Amino acid sequence: MRVKLWGTRGSVPSPGPETLRYGGNTSCVQVTLSDGSLLALDSGTGIRSLGLALGDEPARLHILLTHLHLDHIQGLVFFAPAFKPQTEIVIWGPASPEASLRDRIARYISAPLSPVEVRELPCDVSFRHCPETEWEIGPAKIRAASVTHRGPTLGYRIDDGGNSLTYIPDHEPALGADIEELEEDWISGFELAHHASVLIHDCQYSDTEYPDHVGWGHSALSHTLAFARRVSAQRTLLFHHDPLHSDEFLDQLYREARERWVGDGGDPSALEMAAERAEFELPVSAPATT
Amino acid sequence: MFFVEASSPGAQKPIELILARNLISSLSTPAFLVDEGGVLIFYNEAAGSLLGKRFEEIGKVGPEQWGSIFGPFDEQGDPIPYDELPLVISIRQGRPAHANLQVRSADGAEHEIEVSALPIVTPHGSRGGIAFFWPIADGEVRG
Repeated sequence: MRVKLWGTRGSVPSPGPETLRYGGNTSCVQVTLSDGSLLALDSGTGIRSLGLALGDEPARLHILLTHLHLDHIQGLVFFAPAFKPQTEIVIWGPASPEASLRDRIARYISAPLSPVEVRELPCDVSFRHCPETEWEIGPAKIRAASVTHRGPTLGYRIDDGGNSLTYIPDHEPALGADIEELEEDWISGFELAHHASVLIHDCQYSDTEYPDHVGWGHSALSHTLAFARRVSAQRTLLFHHDPLHSDEFLDQLYREARERWVGDGGDPSALEMAAERAEFELPVSAPATT
Repeated sequence: MFFVEASSPGAQKPIELILARNLISSLSTPAFLVDEGGVLIFYNEAAGSLLGKRFEEIGKVGPEQWGSIFGPFDEQGDPIPYDELPLVISIRQGRPAHANLQVRSADGAEHEIEVSALPIVTPHGSRGGIAFFWPIADGEVRG
C-alpha cells in the first residue's frame, strides 16, 4: 500500500507563504493498493493535484468520502480525470435519511455553485452508500464506521498486504466524554483505529483553542494523542490543520505534541505532522508463520 | 423471541449510542440507554441517584434482569411485564412510549416516576432506545 497526502488542511483552502510546507489544500489522500488499485480518501482541493499527477492514463478509482462538508468535496469538479470519458469513478460515502449520496453531492455540483452538473460529467461515475459491513476493493478490505462529527460522517480502515491505514480526518471523540476514562467500546472510532499501522487523524486545534470550538466536530491536540494511545496505533499523522495555523505554528504544535507523546512513553518516531505531498509506503508484510 | 444479544462484549458501540451516552452523561435528568436487543448498556448519575446504585456497580443488564433489580411495578406493586415497558414498546414498535411506574431503589424505597422512551433510529435501522425518568413527588398528580 502506498500513501500520498495531497491535501492536509481543514475547513477551507489556505494557500500562501505561511502554509508552504504543510500545505494549503484541503483533505485528500491517495492510496495505491498492493495490486495497483487506486483510492482517494476525500476529494478536497488536494484532489486537483492528484488528478494532474495521474496524467492521461485511463483511470479507474474509488473515492471514499468521509462526509460532504465542502473541504472534503470541493475538489471534485476540478479533478481532471472526471472530465475524461475513459475514466471510471466510484464514489462511496455516508448514507443519510434525507437524500441519496448522489443527490447530496449534486447540490454542490450544480448551478449556481458549479458550472457543470453531475449528469454532464463525461466520466463513468457511480455513487454508493458505504455498507455497514466490511467490503473489498481489489486486494483490500475496507471498513467504514460513523464517528463523532457534525452530520453523517465516516472514518475508514483499509487493510491490505498485512498493513492497515485508518483515516479519520474530522473527529471529536472527546465531545462530552473523557477518552482516557472511557471503556474501549464506547470510544468513537476505536475499532477502526485499533492497532492500525498508520492512523491519519484530526488535530485541528491546540488545547488552548479547543474551548472556543467545543462541538464543532474536531479534536484538540490532547484528544488526538489520547485517542492514538488508546487505540495503540503504530504511527499517527496529525491531520486536518486549521486554516489559521501557519507552518511556524504547526512546528510549535508538533514540538509540543512530541514532548507530550514521549513524556507519556510514546515512540517519538511514531508521531508525525501531516504535510502536503508527503508519501510513504506500507510494504506487504510476510504472513506470520507458526 | 424479540430480544437478542445485540453486541458481543467489547464490540464497538454504534456512534448513535455513543452520542446518546455522552448526552445523558451531561444531564441531571435520570436517563437509561438500551441497545437494539434491549440490553441496558448505560444509565447516568442522576438515574444512579434515584436507584441507589451507580451504573458501574450494576454493569450491562439484560432485559430479563431489569425486573429483579429495579422493578418496575404498577400501582398495586405487581411487576410490569416487559412487553408493557415504555422502552420495550419503543424499541419493538419504533415509536415513543410513555408511562407512570414505580421503581425500587437499592435501599428498598419505592419511587413513582414518569417514563418517556424514544427509539434511536438511524439510516441503517434501529440502534436501541433511550428513556428519561421524571420522579413524581409525593401527592403530585401527573398525566
